[in-house]
Amino acid sequence: MKKLAIFTILVLICGTTSPSLVTNAYGQNDPSILLRIAVQADKQIINQLDQVYGTQIPNNIQILYDNGQKAVESLDESLSNDDVEKAKQDFLLAMNSFMQISRTISHSSQQVSQMTISEKSNNQLSNEIDRLVKYSKTLEKLSKKYDVNVESDFIKINQLVGKLQSQINDSNTNSDNVINQIKNILKSIKSDIHEAAVNQRSDRIKQLLNQLLDEIDENLKTAEMNGVDKTQIDMGHELVLEVKDLLSKNQIDDAKAAYYELKELMKNIGYPVIFR
Amino acid sequence: MTSLIEPTQLNNSLGDDGILFVRNDSILDTMVKVPLLVASIIIAAALLPVQSSFSSPRDIDLTIYPDGSTHVLSEIDVDPFLTDYELNLFGNTIDNLVVIGDNEFLLDVDIIDDTALIQTFGSSVITIEYDIHDLVSKQGRLWTFSLDSPSDFTLLLPKNSAIVGMTNLPINMEIINDQNQLTLSSGPTEIDYLFSTNSISNLTEEIKNEEDNYLYIIIGGIITGIIVILLVSVIIIVRNKQKNVKKIDQVVTIQKNVILDLETIFKLKSDLREDDKELVKFIFNNNGEALESELRKKFLQPRTTMWRAVKRLEREGVVEIQKKDLQNLVKLRKNMEEET
Repeated sequence: MKKLAIFTILVLICGTTSPSLVTNAYGQNDPSILLRIAVQADKQIINQLDQVYGTQIPNNIQILYDNGQKAVESLDESLSNDDVEKAKQDFLLAMNSFMQISRTISHSSQQVSQMTISEKSNNQLSNEIDRLVKYSKTLEKLSKKYDVNVESDFIKINQLVGKLQSQINDSNTNSDNVINQIKNILKSIKSDIHEAAVNQRSDRIKQLLNQLLDEIDENLKTAEMNGVDKTQIDMGHELVLEVKDLLSKNQIDDAKAAYYELKELMKNIGYPVIFR
Repeated sequence: MTSLIEPTQLNNSLGDDGILFVRNDSILDTMVKVPLLVASIIIAAALLPVQSSFSSPRDIDLTIYPDGSTHVLSEIDVDPFLTDYELNLFGNTIDNLVVIGDNEFLLDVDIIDDTALIQTFGSSVITIEYDIHDLVSKQGRLWTFSLDSPSDFTLLLPKNSAIVGMTNLPINMEIINDQNQLTLSSGPTEIDYLFSTNSISNLTEEIKNEEDNYLYIIIGGIITGIIVILLVSVIIIVRNKQKNVKKIDQVVTIQKNVILDLETIFKLKSDLREDDKELVKFIFNNNGEALESELRKKFLQPRTTMWRAVKRLEREGVVEIQKKDLQNLVKLRKNMEEET
């Protein structure tokens, strides 16, 4: 019994200490992350103020900064006292003050400029390449799934991407033409994949609908036996036939529309189509 | 409940030293099974917070490029019986849109203004990704990200960016490839940031150091736990040996811990899908366990499809899922036969 007691105590100690270790280890969920963000923001604001105003900080901005800094100090204190709610308030107050300062400084220096695709510095060109490469990889994966033979197109895209990258290194920003070429190739690849996908998807939809129609047919029979309005039952049977007819004619979109109507009817009579 | 005491073997009921050996299931239960059961429950209770702290909803993942455009990746559960699904995009300036349904089917999409009408029929989960240029604006050196999100989301900020203002409390913050990733709640959010090399690297280092410390603590905790469990197991085994009454239960335990052969598994679970059987075969041939990521690579399945397959096998009682290094370790169950 002694050993059993020791065992239980050991396991209990282990059990109680493990969760606390875990909470600390994944403490990015804990409020101390708020202090880190606020302190870094504070440092950034000090740098900005120093660069823009030097020692001549306008009064309104100085007040905002003092409020922000006090809130950071209070945040630190709240965290020390484990007062999470107060810490959250302090964080929002500090970040709001810093946000106002940043916006005031930026507003005075330059007008708002919404990002558009046409704004292309070398940095933006690099980002554009990243985006196109990411998109290209997604399409390449899909093309393999659908067995679409567009390998040569991807080789061409890789070459053009290489060309663009060399333009970045040469500080040559006249890259619109190459980007358009890549986009056109990607558009063509997507179109090919789409075409290949349509057939497979149609088959899948047909298979699924036929399976559902059999179940709906059975449900209509049960509903009829349970005394559901005959008009509704007849309408249901008619819709089942209509969907089957449209499927046989390969009119998938029309079949889907008719099925949707049937689905609503089944729901209304209390026999909804249920996922199995 | 009455305890029945009876001789274990009539021929050898008395030992050389005249001690009467008895068979008593209740005593065995108390001495062997109960401590193990208690240990299992407590260990499971200890591990529960680990799993819950690892899990986080990632329905919407945003990545901001340094030029302010944003990549959106979203996974959405949809009704497979609905023919279409209408999704509000986060703006009008959309590029590189791809929508994929179950089994990586490319789905048709019509975009009208900031709404996408997706033909989802037959799909229960869709993955949509696109680039958008509406979420970030720039004023002087200051960049502002604005979004009214329908659900919690993650936001990966560009490298060397430093947050200088935000309207919401972050749920979480991580460093991924020297980039800040915030997890934020649904609703309107504004975040102001600047590009600055010094501050972000300091923050990164600070967090990394803390993560390292936490990692050491965790490893230490786990090692201590394992030592304790081993120690206790040794005590139990030694005690049982001394009592000389372990044979029957040992046989049972060994039987329970043996993974069944494939034929028996498929016989017991005759209604398994063919693709699920392939998974089971692979796991069996991989010493009875495999990471979910390995299964995805092997069978070239998307994350959600494989996850559902594994959950299906778990529901069937064929496998059990354990956490290993933040990944799902899928193991064939050892006591399948008993449960069936």
